[in-house]
Amino acid sequence: MSLDVGQEQTDSADTVPEDLAVVVDDASMTYRIRSSSEHLRDDGRWSRRFKRVTGSGWARVHALDSLSFVVRRGESVGVIGTNGSGKSTLMKLLTGKLRPTTGEVFATSTPVMLGVNAALVKDLSGQENIRLGCLAMGLTPAETARKFEMIVELSGLRDALHLPLKSYSSGMASRLQFAIATAVDPDILIIDEALNTGDAQFRSRTKKRLDEVREQAGCVFLVSHSLGTIQQMCTRVLWIEQGRLLADGDPEWVTEQYQEYTEHKASGRRRSSEIAYQRTRMHLDSVSVSWADGTRPTRAG
Amino acid sequence: MAGRKQAPARHDTDAGASPDLRPAPRRVDLHGDGLIRVGARPNLWQYLKQIWAFRHFVIYDSHARVATSNTSDSLGRLWMIMNPVLLGFAFFLVFGLLLQTSRGISNFIGYLIIGVFMFRFATQAIGNGSQSITKNQNVVHAFNFPRACLPLATNLRELFAQIPTLLVMTVLVYTLGDLPLPGSEPDPIDLSWRWLAIFPVLVLMVMMTTGFSLLLARAVATFDDVKHLISFGTRIWMYASCVFFSSERWERIGGDTALLILHLNPMYCVLDIVRQAWLYDAWADPMRWYVLGGWAFGLCLIGMLAFWQAEETYGRER
Repeated sequence: MSLDVGQEQTDSADTVPEDLAVVVDDASMTYRIRSSSEHLRDDGRWSRRFKRVTGSGWARVHALDSLSFVVRRGESVGVIGTNGSGKSTLMKLLTGKLRPTTGEVFATSTPVMLGVNAALVKDLSGQENIRLGCLAMGLTPAETARKFEMIVELSGLRDALHLPLKSYSSGMASRLQFAIATAVDPDILIIDEALNTGDAQFRSRTKKRLDEVREQAGCVFLVSHSLGTIQQMCTRVLWIEQGRLLADGDPEWVTEQYQEYTEHKASGRRRSSEIAYQRTRMHLDSVSVSWADGTRPTRAG
Repeated sequence: MAGRKQAPARHDTDAGASPDLRPAPRRVDLHGDGLIRVGARPNLWQYLKQIWAFRHFVIYDSHARVATSNTSDSLGRLWMIMNPVLLGFAFFLVFGLLLQTSRGISNFIGYLIIGVFMFRFATQAIGNGSQSITKNQNVVHAFNFPRACLPLATNLRELFAQIPTLLVMTVLVYTLGDLPLPGSEPDPIDLSWRWLAIFPVLVLMVMMTTGFSLLLARAVATFDDVKHLISFGTRIWMYASCVFFSSERWERIGGDTALLILHLNPMYCVLDIVRQAWLYDAWADPMRWYVLGGWAFGLCLIGMLAFWQAEETYGRER
C-alpha cells in the first residue's frame, strides 16, 4: 500500500490481484439495541409516552462508518485504535458473526477469531467445554480426541478440568477459551488481544502455538494495543478511530501517528490531537471495490 | 441476497463546512471467483448437509447438558421424576377429587398420569427449544455452526432427559393406573404388545416439538416478546388437549366445532393413542395417527424453512 496522495488514481483501475484473501466492500455497522432510557430522546409525543410506559425502545449505535479495504494472502494486518473505536465490530463483521448494515465482506474462507471474550457453557466442566468447543468448530470426534491433550497442555488447567466452568476465575476461563480456539488451523486468522491475556507463564506457552498457527495461516489480522507487537509482526496496519478507517499502510508510519494522537489526547490537547487525526486521514489511501462483470461473490462458505 | 444495495455516499462530513481535500477513493477492480460472502446463508440443501456434518456437536451438546441439568438442587436429577409426579398429584387433588372431572373416565389415575407426563414432555421441549438461541448467545458468538443445531440439540436433550421419566410413567400407570375411584368402573390394566405404540408416538411427537422449537426459536430471536406468549399458549393448549378431563366433556360444552378442533390437536392425538393402547387395550381412531403424522412432518418442514430463512440474523447483539 502506498501512501502517496498526489497521484491521480480516480479513474485508473488497479490490476486484478490474483491472491485475494479478504475484501471488505463498503461495510458499515449500526447496532440496534434495546434501551430503557430511549424515551428521553424521542420527539414524537405518543411514541415517547409509549416508550416511557413500556420502558423499552431501540437505541441506534453507530459503530462503524462504511469502509473498504483489500487484503492479500501473506499479509499480516495489525488493527489499532482507541477503546470504543469500532475494532471489535470490524472483527465481528470479518468473522461473519454480524451482518454489516450496508456493504458486504468477502473472503476465501470464513475467518476464524482467536479471542478470549466468549465464555462457554457455564454449567459444564472444563473438559466437557473443550469437547463441545472442538465439535462446535466442526472437528470430528476423532480430531477432538487428538487435539484434547494439546488444549489441556496449552491452557495449563489440568487440575481444574473436572470442575464446572462457573468455578473458574475469569482469567482461567479466558485461558481455556483461547486454548480451545487454537485447536483449529484457520486459513484466515484473527487474533484479538490474545497476547495480553494470562500470566507470564501462559503467555510464553501460547506464543509457540500462536507462532505455529500464524505460520500456516494464509493471512493474519492482529488486534492489539501493543504497538511494539504490531510493528514486530505486521506488514500493514489499519487504524480505526471513532468508527472510521483513518489510516491503512506502513506499520512504522501509522503507529507513529497513532502514538502522537493518543499522547495529545491523553494530555488533553484537543486541537493537537485533532490535527494529528486530520493529517493522518488526509494520507489515507482509500479504495473502492468494483467487481468484474458478474463475479461479485454470493456463495456461502 | 446478492443484489443488496451499495452504501450510498461515504460519510465525509467533518467538522462543519470545511471542504474535503482528500482524493477520491482509488478504484480496485477485483475478480470474485473463489471468494465467498462471509456469514452468508447457504442454500437449504447445503444447510442440511452442514447440520449433518455437525451431528456430533448436536449429540454431545444434548448429552452433556442432560447430565448437568438440576445440578444446583440437592436432589439433582430426581427432580426430573418428582416434578411430573407432584404436578400429577396436584391435578388429581383439584380435578379428580374437588371438581370430579374423573366421572365417566375409567382408570382416571392412569388417564391423568399419561396426560401430565406426556404433555409436560412436549411443553418442556418446545419451551426450551424456543429459547435455545437467545439463551446460548455465548456459543453463537464464539463459533460458526449452523444455528439450527441448537434447537435440535435441545429437543434431543429433552428426549434423553425424559427416558427415566417415561419409565417411571410406565411403572406408575401399570401399578396405580387402575385404582378404582368413586363414580367410575375400574378396567384392569394388562401389559400387551399394544403398549409398544408409545415408540412411534414418541418419534412423531419429538418431530412435532422440534418443528415448533425451530419455528418459535426464530420468532423469539427476532422478537423477544414472543417468549411471554409461549407459556400462555401452552396453558391454553393444555386445556384443549384433554389432559385431565374426557373428550365428552369437551364436546358437551363446545359442540361439533370444539370436537373438530380437539381432533385436529396433535397433542390430543398423542394422548388418545397412548391412553387407548395402555389403559383400554384398544387402538385409537386411525385418524389420530394421520393428524399427528401430518403435524409432525408439516411442522418439521415449515420450522426448518423458517429457521433457515433467518440464519444470518441469529448472531446480532441484543
